[in-house]
Amino acid sequence: MNRLKLINDHILSGEKNMAMPATLLSPLTTHVLNIAKGVPGANMTISLYRLDPVSSVWNEITTGLTNDDGRCLGLITKDTFIAGVYKMRFETEKYWNALGEISFYPFVEVVFTVNDPSQKYHVPLLLSRFSYSTYRGS
Amino acid sequence: MSPLNNSSPLTTHVLNTGDGLPAVRMPISLHRLDPHMTLWNLITVGTTNEDGRCPGLITSDGFTPGTYKMRFETGQYWESLGQGSFYPYVEIVFTITDAEQKLHLPLLLSRYSYNTYRGS
Repeated sequence: MNRLKLINDHILSGEKNMAMPATLLSPLTTHVLNIAKGVPGANMTISLYRLDPVSSVWNEITTGLTNDDGRCLGLITKDTFIAGVYKMRFETEKYWNALGEISFYPFVEVVFTVNDPSQKYHVPLLLSRFSYSTYRGS
Repeated sequence: MSPLNNSSPLTTHVLNTGDGLPAVRMPISLHRLDPHMTLWNLITVGTTNEDGRCPGLITSDGFTPGTYKMRFETGQYWESLGQGSFYPYVEIVFTITDAEQKLHLPLLLSRYSYNTYRGS
């Protein structure tokens, strides 16, 4: 049952499932990896925000939980994915606490610029208790 | 710049991994979270030197347990090199639980990636 779900999630995140309406496939994706243990970062709360350029306020777009594969589907729709400055917030401390461990970082926020919303943006987080890295992927 | 020498218990080192060089003249700032008001208090501002370091960030007395934020003006840095970048800035928020002896917080940075870790 778990394996089927994993494959299903893979297919959806790889956007290869042709039965999925295009509007449901998020142009922005993430992947959380627990590099200390060599496993996906599952059940981590993630929030996506967009910066209002006029008021300089962060508006929350969505909050979700990473699945068993460390991915969080449906972050944003193509219609609402406009050019601008976005922030992805990862609740890393809650994640490590749930595993019975402490964390150096109470949370991780990655702020990035979307110049061309017709492109796909992949913003992963490779995480241990005392380090993290991120990059623009595909 | 602060009159403090390199006796700060908190240090950083910014490296431009795209070019394999220290990130020079990058503005950075250190903030501490005020737990009662949930706002960030600015502790110090500085600019990285020729080696990508910024001495004198904080004093030992000032480095009390709490939540801190180091902000790196990475977008400005890449702009000054005539290049674009994915990240307008990088903020690293971290927790100090005890009066730690030394804490090193480096930033390894390229135009489309960055990496940080707790060092010594």
